[in-house]
Amino acid sequence: MTQPPAITGLGMTAMSVTAGPDSYALATEAVAAALADAGLDRGDVDGLLVGSSQGVREDRLGVALARRAGFGDLRLLEHLEIKGATAVAMVTRAVLAIRVGMARTVLCVFADAPIGPGKAAGSTYAHSGGNAGVRGLERASGVLGSVPTFALLASRYLHVSGGTEADLCAVAVSARAWASGSEQAVNRTPLDDEGYYASRMISAPLRVLDCARPVNGAVAVIVSSERPAGRTAPAIEIRGMGAVHPMRRRRAGGESWFGGGGQAVDDALAMAGTSRDGLDVVELYDPFSIVTLCLLEEYGFCAGGQAGKFVRGGGIAPGGELPVNTGGGQLSGFYLQGMTPLAEALIQLRGTGGDRQVPGAQTALVTGIGGRIDHHEALVLAREAA
Amino acid sequence: MTQTADWLVAPELAPDAGDPVMAPLYAAATRGALALPFCAACSTPLELEQYVCDACGASAEIGTAGREWRDVPLAGTVHTATLVHRREPGLIVAPGPYPVIDVELASGHRLVLTTAAPSGQAPDIGAPVEIAFRTVGAVTLPAVRFSRSGSPTAASH
Repeated sequence: MTQPPAITGLGMTAMSVTAGPDSYALATEAVAAALADAGLDRGDVDGLLVGSSQGVREDRLGVALARRAGFGDLRLLEHLEIKGATAVAMVTRAVLAIRVGMARTVLCVFADAPIGPGKAAGSTYAHSGGNAGVRGLERASGVLGSVPTFALLASRYLHVSGGTEADLCAVAVSARAWASGSEQAVNRTPLDDEGYYASRMISAPLRVLDCARPVNGAVAVIVSSERPAGRTAPAIEIRGMGAVHPMRRRRAGGESWFGGGGQAVDDALAMAGTSRDGLDVVELYDPFSIVTLCLLEEYGFCAGGQAGKFVRGGGIAPGGELPVNTGGGQLSGFYLQGMTPLAEALIQLRGTGGDRQVPGAQTALVTGIGGRIDHHEALVLAREAA
Repeated sequence: MTQTADWLVAPELAPDAGDPVMAPLYAAATRGALALPFCAACSTPLELEQYVCDACGASAEIGTAGREWRDVPLAGTVHTATLVHRREPGLIVAPGPYPVIDVELASGHRLVLTTAAPSGQAPDIGAPVEIAFRTVGAVTLPAVRFSRSGSPTAASH
């Protein structure tokens, strides 16, 4: 039976912090898990969207996955690329294709494997970027990987907002409190303020516990206008979609990291016919603790400069006013770019969150960001009535 | 050309001085000047990877008269800064944490740089700084020198 596009399947590999299978093997495993979850065969799928991390690596996932993962003829096959916002954008792309009849059942998959034998993910990132362009000058100036850049953002944000590192601490501790209840989370050991401040400084003010937890893993979701009889979980409707790409210039005398992103959330909420008050859970893309603070303000959940106070008061933690990143996010859960918030929203709306389940969660906001908070993609998801 | 080891990074991180996007900047640096691109039509300071002026819409493509490289004052203020503690083996040769500074230049541009001289401190936001130069491999590139009035008072982190 044909109905509005909804997410009818979810497949996740284990999230590994040690070297193992490459991204193609991980993606193939997630694809099989999503098909089993939805009660579908490969032959039922006529669309495949592929997303991968931006660093240039030999095993970067691409459209070759169609052959590798055993698919037959497909109608829709694309490798999407809008930096970190890709995973969320894939769902939007799938909905649009289904709505105009260019596909019926679309599998969206993201995989990454930055951890190699004897090689930590941080080292992989530090060696990426090349010697040309502005990046060449910045790398020669010691800007390796993305942490120093987001540390510059953090310093600036705290300066502008009047915040302190206690605000960052509160984000990390809140995320860990959620993660402690998540089977999928990589870092579940309880964390208090003391443990946070004792953690290794990477690039001030960001400590290691302010940074996403890279993993080798994959997530696949199935977007379909059909409701397979063999599916194991309720369908999750995609009620609202929004995207915005503010073009901020890096120039003296202005801010270059903040502003403009809220339109994506406003548009997604309007399409869904709901408001911020109608959201039960909020799943943000949080590669660094500072980004959660920025996005709470950017997306209109806190007034300018107030996110730190809100988070220090327990606002986003378990039992708080606004459940945010309920699986521990990318900080304590796992870092698979936009699949981290998307997968967690699906788990919450299915009601399978176990110890971290938000009781009665019916509606979720999922957002993805890319670049230096330059790209925003938002979805409003809701559990379909039985 | 003699090569002296840089205080911060290994020679393999030397920028590609022949990269057409950046070549005029590195060429100017070898003569002790800081050159940056402007829109020839309206003098708006352009980002290094900006090829169309956002103020007037004029083309500022590489190698055309629409992109005007001008020597700019060696002065700016700190937009933001960090002290980087993680030192990637083989790429970072400094023995301790090092500063990375996002500078608002008097010309209106912004550049992310480290210091010309070895330093273990990040300056305060808003502090005045000067632009000096350092050499990585065979390439001279701009770097920050703390102004006397803007030198860090303490290792803040």
